[in-house]
Amino acid sequence: MAEETFLEDDFLRQLMSVGEVDLLVGIPSYNNAATMGQTVETIEESFQQNFVRDRVVILNVDGGSSDDTRNVLLQRNERRNGGHRGLTSLRTVHRVSWTYGSAPSSGLAVRTILAAADLLRAKSCAIISPTAGNLTPSWVANLLRPIYRERFDYLAPLYARNKFQGLLARNLLYPMSRAVFGYRIRELYSDEWGFSGRLASQCLDQDVWHEEAVQTRPEAWMGVTAISAELNCCQYFLGQKAAPGSGAGTDIVEAIRQAVGSLFWCLEKYESQWLNRAGSQTVPTFGPDHELCEESPPTNPEKFFAMFRSGVNELEPLLASILTRDTHAQVKAIALLDADKFRFANELWVRTLYEFAGSYHHEVLNRDHLVQSVVPLYRGLLYSFLMQHANSSADEMEADAEQLGLEFERQKPYLVERWKGEKLR
Amino acid sequence: MLTKTQQESQALVQQTENLWYKDAVIYQLHVRTFCDSNGDGIGDFRGLTNRLDYLQELGINAIWLLPFYPSPLRDDGYDIADYTSVHPSYGSLQDFKDFLKAAHDRRIRVITEMVVNHTSDQHPWFQEARSSRENPKRDWYVWSETDTRYQGVRIIFVDTEMSNWAWDPISKSYYWHRFFNHQPDLNYDNPAVREAMWEVMKFWLDIGVDGFRLDAVPYLIERDGTSCENLPETHEIIRDLRKRLDAAYPGKMLLAEANQWPADVRSYFGNGDEFHMAFHFPLMPRMFMAVKLEDRKPIIEILEQTPQIPDNCQWCIFLRNHDELTLEMVTDVERDYMYDEYAVDKAMRINLGIRRRLAPMMENDRRRVELLTGLLLSMPGTPIIYYGDEIGMGDNVYLGDRNGVRTPMQWNGGWNAGFSSADPERLYSPLISNAVYGYQAINVDSQRRSAHSLLSWTKSVIQTRNAFRAFSRGSIEFLNPTNHRVLAYVRRLGEEKILVVNNLSNSAQAVELSLQQYKGHIPIEMFGRNLFPRIGDLPYLLTLGPYQFFWFRLRRI
Repeated sequence: MAEETFLEDDFLRQLMSVGEVDLLVGIPSYNNAATMGQTVETIEESFQQNFVRDRVVILNVDGGSSDDTRNVLLQRNERRNGGHRGLTSLRTVHRVSWTYGSAPSSGLAVRTILAAADLLRAKSCAIISPTAGNLTPSWVANLLRPIYRERFDYLAPLYARNKFQGLLARNLLYPMSRAVFGYRIRELYSDEWGFSGRLASQCLDQDVWHEEAVQTRPEAWMGVTAISAELNCCQYFLGQKAAPGSGAGTDIVEAIRQAVGSLFWCLEKYESQWLNRAGSQTVPTFGPDHELCEESPPTNPEKFFAMFRSGVNELEPLLASILTRDTHAQVKAIALLDADKFRFANELWVRTLYEFAGSYHHEVLNRDHLVQSVVPLYRGLLYSFLMQHANSSADEMEADAEQLGLEFERQKPYLVERWKGEKLR
Repeated sequence: MLTKTQQESQALVQQTENLWYKDAVIYQLHVRTFCDSNGDGIGDFRGLTNRLDYLQELGINAIWLLPFYPSPLRDDGYDIADYTSVHPSYGSLQDFKDFLKAAHDRRIRVITEMVVNHTSDQHPWFQEARSSRENPKRDWYVWSETDTRYQGVRIIFVDTEMSNWAWDPISKSYYWHRFFNHQPDLNYDNPAVREAMWEVMKFWLDIGVDGFRLDAVPYLIERDGTSCENLPETHEIIRDLRKRLDAAYPGKMLLAEANQWPADVRSYFGNGDEFHMAFHFPLMPRMFMAVKLEDRKPIIEILEQTPQIPDNCQWCIFLRNHDELTLEMVTDVERDYMYDEYAVDKAMRINLGIRRRLAPMMENDRRRVELLTGLLLSMPGTPIIYYGDEIGMGDNVYLGDRNGVRTPMQWNGGWNAGFSSADPERLYSPLISNAVYGYQAINVDSQRRSAHSLLSWTKSVIQTRNAFRAFSRGSIEFLNPTNHRVLAYVRRLGEEKILVVNNLSNSAQAVELSLQQYKGHIPIEMFGRNLFPRIGDLPYLLTLGPYQFFWFRLRRI
């Protein structure tokens, strides 16, 4: 029996009025009245500056805001800063807002945007967070243009980050996804990304929307889908990322649960595409490859080490079922080191994660619990990283990140071995 | 002896009659292009007179004649060498009078060109003026010892002119010209010039012409430190002309050519005491733009910027004319877009515009030609149809200047398209002869024979427009359906209500119109006279095919 449509008639009616478009910018929102107006203005300014002739729509998908988010979007006056007599974009800049549910859901928000992109036959789409404090017109244009003009299908952003920002991506998500899927895309997990109508249609047609990994981190799944389908991918340097990334923040448990859970799920979903891939290749990158800004390290990093130690201790039975005996022993051994002598070597970190991935595949225990067990180990890695790089230059840190990436690639046969092999023990 | 009621009634009729220009559908033509009666290869007044039945049949009720005066013809007659005569190629003054009478007999009014800003350098006035600095006519033109005066004033013909000043080797000084250098500007600060021009107008009014199109009006006066356009003194001159006109020739009309933004043109209506009509230049490119963009935004935006005008005044609107499709009143972005979409071949561009006719611009797509014609005839303003567009004539962009849109009228598929019995080599211009737009494919006779031809359709739509004064005198209220590909509006005059719905796009569209204020009315499609469902409380749903438009009469029955 066909699935009942998740698009309501009123929403379809709004889309019908918009008709076919060239460009679509989706804004998922939830109680963002304070920043929505500025976001819309910036997007429209980008249209006026860069896509003055094109058919465009701004689509807000809202998770049931109790504030004035939707009205702010719909009622914000179009900024008229253009040439003669206030005329700017040649065509109507459409704005559509739709409440997809009574609670926010990244997956449902993105699914709604993809459905609209598909129905409107959008050529190039971007998703923008209304909380992106330093959004500029060029950001928007840079997310859309390579897909629109250069026929890319997926565009990941690149940001200028502070040295100690985005550490989960730097130490885990990027190097592991690079080694597994074979493409060097730094920011698979981001609030902003671009995609083609073709990718939107492909993703929309997949029967994955009930999966938690897709519901929580649809952006990563879309990126991996593009990579796995060998669509044209690229990166674009957008500039300074103002919003805090997932790193040493307090929500690290949820960040890992979602991001690592999503990554492992993608491994499962696309195993036929990555098992035989070796090494990694760069993707076309517009602008600088990365940029690190000077920043003081977080204060009191010792707490991460303490949490690592207690975690290794408390989760011993779980870790014993996830890791090989040798790896588990090495992890326990470093947990006994003095804080000032502690190092989580790249080799061990990579092997540990690959064993986690293998155990995830073999479902040695509840997958959610398994993923959450990464948290204390990541804290150990984080502490090691902070100690090692407290005074490192940006270049030194980047060289180290590259070494980590290469280590993930070097050990990939081990991942394949664990993946294809029997359950541990 | 008339009763008071009869007198009032007669006054009302007269008043309505005096506003004839509001109800006009004007046909623009050049005598040279229309019909040659004496076989010399050049159209003439006798030929035109012979073709008046065709124009009457078409349904137009006014003719705007391009300049037909003696002229060296270096600017298609806009370089006049004698204001009170007829160029010998077009016949005699008597021929003109005969034509005028024949037109009036068919209730067709005639508007002539009055090129007031400048003359030809061959005009006796200029010849005298340049002959010596002491000549009494010297001050009839604008002279200077240097070419640096009025610095910064824009050059209009940017493709051909480097300066607004030209050197006169005879009197060894510079003369001012806003157009070609062989068209010296008259000096309107000189009362003798104003008087002379009024005498010229009286000459033609006494013969019986119904109105004048005054060419290049914004440029009559020059002042240091200004753009030399739209100056207050220019308005004084116009007001004086109008006053004289109303006093001596009631019911005659002045039409301004002022290629300016609507807010700037507004001043040329004054308080109803300057021009009766003025062209709405910025609307024209935006109609083309809207169809290409498939979005009503350009039209709505420019009409939102269009100020109200006095009750006795009217905008004049058009799609194409004898000049290039001017892109002066658009932004740079819009101009680039128009060039890219409508003039890819550089030969199609001239000055700041596009030298093409309607049908070729629409790629001979009948649906789009009809849509644009439908817009022209249903928007507020007096429409002007350029000769040949009613049959979808083509152009020849390789003929130089704007001659490609001034080729002979195509009457039939025979010798010289029925335009002239001369040898083809003798024609003033080559005929359009390609397979698509050539006279053997596109001509009046063949289209007359088909009830479904563009000509027959155009007759029908003009006839429909002429039957409802809401089109010519009514208000306009834009409906703003969420579907931006649809342009919808209601024209209303008293109880006469007409709903116009245009699909600007190349694909079928559904649109919901908020017509609750017309609840209970029955829309009657005006061409087929079919009834549509009665308007109720819900939004009124219509579906339109690509480029389709509807005109509905809203009737409460």
